Amino acid sequence: MKIVIFVFFSIILFGCSDMSSKSAFVGEVARSTSMPVGTVSSESIYQLADTFQTQDNKKITLSYFMGKPTVVGMIFTHCPYACPRLTADIKDIEEKMNSKKGVNYLLVSFDSERDFPEQLKKFANSYGLNQNWTLLHGDENAVRTLSVLLNVQFQKDATGNFSHSNIISVLDKDGVLVFQKEGIDADPAETIGTLKQLLAKR
Amino acid sequence: MKYFLSILMATVFFCTVQAQQKTVVSEKKMVTVRGGNYKPFFISKSNRPVYVTSFRMDETPVTNAEYLIFVKSNPRWRRSKVNRLFADTNYLRHWKNDLEIGVSNKIIYNSPVVNVSWFAAQAYCKWKNKQLPTVAQWELAANGSPKDFKYKSLTDFILDWYTKPSPRVLPHVKSTYQNQYGLYDMHGLIWEWTFNFNSFAASPDSRRNGEDDFKNFCAGGAINVADKTDYAAYLRYGYRASLKGNYCISSLGFRCVKN
Repeated sequence: MKIVIFVFFSIILFGCSDMSSKSAFVGEVARSTSMPVGTVSSESIYQLADTFQTQDNKKITLSYFMGKPTVVGMIFTHCPYACPRLTADIKDIEEKMNSKKGVNYLLVSFDSERDFPEQLKKFANSYGLNQNWTLLHGDENAVRTLSVLLNVQFQKDATGNFSHSNIISVLDKDGVLVFQKEGIDADPAETIGTLKQLLAKR
Repeated sequence: MKYFLSILMATVFFCTVQAQQKTVVSEKKMVTVRGGNYKPFFISKSNRPVYVTSFRMDETPVTNAEYLIFVKSNPRWRRSKVNRLFADTNYLRHWKNDLEIGVSNKIIYNSPVVNVSWFAAQAYCKWKNKQLPTVAQWELAANGSPKDFKYKSLTDFILDWYTKPSPRVLPHVKSTYQNQYGLYDMHGLIWEWTFNFNSFAASPDSRRNGEDDFKNFCAGGAINVADKTDYAAYLRYGYRASLKGNYCISSLGFRCVKN
């Protein structure tokens, strides 16, 4: 009975308070996915409700990557130097992981104004990124929020390019941030070790 | 069953109270900040002054009373329910509980809300159909000349504020000074969140590695700054760089803008 009352109470309380709510910002799984609310871990970055677009023009939320460990980098395609190298670093990790499937490789663009799916597709093709890779375009808010969650600093300059930190993040299959490596040409051993541990756990 | 009914009653009552409370706090006044050039603190070839277009900004920081209404309407932002990813354990720690600032805290109802994270501030502004100001917007607005000022310069005033320890009880909004745009308390009361607080301020271009630039920031960062005497700005940029999105700090609040 206690439980019934409690449930009833929460429903009413929640319902009544939520009526005037306009915000579906964070802390809520996007309704567009088929996943029932509540399966996402409280530490999961996949709680972010914002929509992104893939290089194949598919609209997704980050929970799309649920189920496999995911390696994430933030880049922009007009980047002359750092981003191609960060991409190469992640590619190197993919090769050393020596497994075609089981890990998602994800690049999210800082450049909401130029890196639309078509441009991302071009970038993916020119760097020979296979189907394990997803490149994402998001609006300014979504990208900024993700950068805050991943502790990636970035700033757009007057030329339309970006200054940014170079960080490779590893998320577990539930989207919880478990490991980060900062810097270009960083030793990938720990990142690979983390991924192998995550794969062993599944 | 008795319990059941009383809970039901309490809930209905709660909804009514909530509805009433909404009318108590009046709509926040916003003022226009005229467009102008924002000179980034760290100067480089690509990091040159940018023009910021006119925007509207909350006249004062968001207060505890105003924030309470938001929390009541958005259960996930209650102290006991908030997700640690989005707000650390200091979130609203100065309140009595989830839905009460506390009678003994009456003195701070009209003071800026602090101990709120970037995510919380973002969610609040979004709920109000507003946004957090960008660093450029905030700095442009905060640079506005004070009206009726007893200090020699704004920098002197800010530095004087920095030297004082945080007051035990945070004063009300509008307790410091008003500037040329009509904004209150841009300096002298609290620090404020900005949309892009996690900007990579110290890097001269995108070719460098993050870590190196942080070392520059701490050690020899004086080479490329807009105004070497503006120690106050140094502190602001350094402070922003030290934050994470879920940090809740007793001297850090926010206000919103409309573009």
